[in-house]
Amino acid sequence: MDAYALGLLTNVGLLGFLALSAYVMLLAGEMSFGQQAFFGVGAYAGGMLTAMAGWPLPLAAVAAMAAGALAALAVALPTLRLRGLYFAMATLAAAEMARIGFELLQWQVDRDGEPVGPDGTQGFRGIRWVFESGLAPEAWTALVWSLLAAVLALAALAERSRLGATLRAVGEDPGLAAVLGLDVDRFKLGVIAAAGALAALGGVLFAHHNTYIEPRNFDIMLGVHSLAYALIGGLGTAFGPLIGVVLDVGLLEGTRVFHGYRMVAFGGLVALLLVLRPRGLLDETAVRWIGRRFS
Amino acid sequence: MLADLLQNTLDGLAAGASYALVALGFTLIFGVLRRANLSFGAAIMLGCYAAAAVSQQRPGLGLVALAAITVLVSVLAGAYVERLCFAPHRRGSAVAAMVASFALWMHLEEIAVLLLPRHVVGFPPLYEGEPIVLAGLAIRVESLVALGTAGAICALLAGLLYRTRFGISVRAVIASPLAAEIAGIRTGRIFFLVFALASAIGGLAGFLVAATDAQITPMMGMWFTLKGLIAMMLGGLGSLPGAVMGALALGLIEAHSQWFLGPQLRDFLVYLLLFLLLAAAPKWMRTHSAS
Amino acid sequence: MSAMLEVKDLVTAYGKIEALKGVSLEVREGSITCLLGPNGAGKTTLMMTIAGILKPRSGSIRFSGREISRQPPHAIVGAGVALVPENRLVFPGMSVLENLRAGAYARRDDGIEADIERLFERFPRLRERAGQDAGTLSGGEQQMLAVARALMSRPKLLLMDEPSLGLAPLVVDEIFRIIADLHRDGTTIFLVEQNAHMALRVAHHFYLIEQGRVTFSGDPGSLAEDEVIRRAYLGSSRR
Repeated sequence: MDAYALGLLTNVGLLGFLALSAYVMLLAGEMSFGQQAFFGVGAYAGGMLTAMAGWPLPLAAVAAMAAGALAALAVALPTLRLRGLYFAMATLAAAEMARIGFELLQWQVDRDGEPVGPDGTQGFRGIRWVFESGLAPEAWTALVWSLLAAVLALAALAERSRLGATLRAVGEDPGLAAVLGLDVDRFKLGVIAAAGALAALGGVLFAHHNTYIEPRNFDIMLGVHSLAYALIGGLGTAFGPLIGVVLDVGLLEGTRVFHGYRMVAFGGLVALLLVLRPRGLLDETAVRWIGRRFS
Repeated sequence: MLADLLQNTLDGLAAGASYALVALGFTLIFGVLRRANLSFGAAIMLGCYAAAAVSQQRPGLGLVALAAITVLVSVLAGAYVERLCFAPHRRGSAVAAMVASFALWMHLEEIAVLLLPRHVVGFPPLYEGEPIVLAGLAIRVESLVALGTAGAICALLAGLLYRTRFGISVRAVIASPLAAEIAGIRTGRIFFLVFALASAIGGLAGFLVAATDAQITPMMGMWFTLKGLIAMMLGGLGSLPGAVMGALALGLIEAHSQWFLGPQLRDFLVYLLLFLLLAAAPKWMRTHSAS
Repeated sequence: MSAMLEVKDLVTAYGKIEALKGVSLEVREGSITCLLGPNGAGKTTLMMTIAGILKPRSGSIRFSGREISRQPPHAIVGAGVALVPENRLVFPGMSVLENLRAGAYARRDDGIEADIERLFERFPRLRERAGQDAGTLSGGEQQMLAVARALMSRPKLLLMDEPSLGLAPLVVDEIFRIIADLHRDGTTIFLVEQNAHMALRVAHHFYLIEQGRVTFSGDPGSLAEDEVIRRAYLGSSRR
């Protein structure tokens, strides 16, 4: 497989984590414009741990996920009472604060005579753990996708379980869920933390894939894109957000058909698609239909 | 020191005047539809780019004509967005409408950039003379124009909403779309017309900013959207006077904090303020529910 | 009296749930017709469907011979049918006067101010509060405003959904007096009520609706009042 296709495939996988993160938030009934912040937290935290502190990637990834979860909680706790556009704007504000934080973060240590670490707006170079580990590009892509597959498998399992049903119940009718005895607030916080961890996992992998990250990577555009991927792919299943990513990055970018017009095409396509299917391609009815066909 | 304070206040208010027009546009749309139109900034940007493109073809074209083109293209773009992103989801999902509007943000922004594919494009300046110096303050003529325009638009809008039949029907839809339907008001038509009106006001803001800066950039779409959204939220979502207050406050906060803290911390402060306000959720912020 | 409103086999659904399972009834011109039934029977759904807010899945609604079942709400108001909705739904933040003017949106004639004057004569309390925010009115005053606003469109048929809901008995008396007055002045009235006792005193004809179907049609007196009241609140014991 050529390098370009491989890179594209990996990108789809990485964005998949972020789109899944936005999807989980949507299921919980919240529209978030800020998941990119946790993607960034994961990227910076993971990158700093491997490049500056010499941690192995698996450990750094776990720590990055924890950082993402904590950051998500920091945003969610003060804003738990907010709904709809209010909540979305709060996440936007928090994400922009994070991005500016990345711009102000300057911390470098000496490694083998070279300064390594985030350098404010100049970015963070030298996140070379994957390269130095000798992992082949194909193996790396496979690793990213295995992790994504594992997350999807977990999500699919959760969907069938009471957890999935509870999540959708909280998303659609939190009042009812509360009346039925659920501590809606605590549940929501848990979901938001999980979404943050998920985005952070994508972030740490992203940092190690590109070996270089800068604050500009984690801007509002990324966040709202991931929200769009989650919605157009369909809210009926965890595979939905992935389809959204594949549609944009895979189809439009990859096939180069719409070279130069990619956003005109994708934007128009998304708007049209939503007219026909407001809950995405793989919405709940589609998923049930597929389920019946294959049962 | 005092002179700096006054100068920053003046500049802040002038910036706030442009923000106010954008915020008014957002708030009008939110007021009737209870949804945020995320493509609003991009529609304004397309208007500016169209005017710049025309101006490149016909360099002698006057400012009034350019303003008209900016407004017209913004309105057309706004109408397109309303039909594609908001009309189909009127009784459906608010998230779908807002995500669709984000998709058209990307769509319209790229169309604008394809029109004039350079990083910075010149725009005919509003005024080419020196600022008026009064009591040690530099008063830019563009600032006066911005403030005057914003004031005039506010007055006209108030007149429209409070003294005309159309205005009563708009306020009725804002108060309760269901009651308006029941009373026989053509809410579909009102949504469309308010969208057009909001886009026109936004287009005017776009022209003012473009002509004041004498340039347009591909970042404008994001810039207008953010300023408008932040000002709208600061002033209390859904309130038209609030939008103006929020916008002026934003302009002032930005001008003063930039002076003391620099551009990055200025933005950080604004976002922090917005976040804290939302977290505290005081009563005056909750003029209308946001789906 | 001819039938001003004819509803035939009307089915209205919310997604999978059919709220109206084939409703047929008629409202004769110049009458006060009443629809009684327990909560959830479909009374408000029927009113909203006739008014055009909800679209039926099947069936027909004819007003003065014309099919209106798929028309938009503003066209139905224009045809002469006005709804006074459940819970009044006045426009908060707008004055009483502005609420009335909003009700005249579809009209292009010169009679609007004269109509407002006439309504103030009929509802003197509204005149007193002409400049007041409609959201701050009492329940009874809001009900009067809702009726007055509906009357601004000069309807031939007035639909009223639970006008006595949440009002004190004295106020309820006043509302029903107004209903009788309106009828005397020539308006046909189709009234949905939970307060079966009051409704039966003004109605010429009534229907019982239970679980989305009409289960009884007759004149007051054709069924014992306590039987009517029982079925209006509780529904039939037979399922």
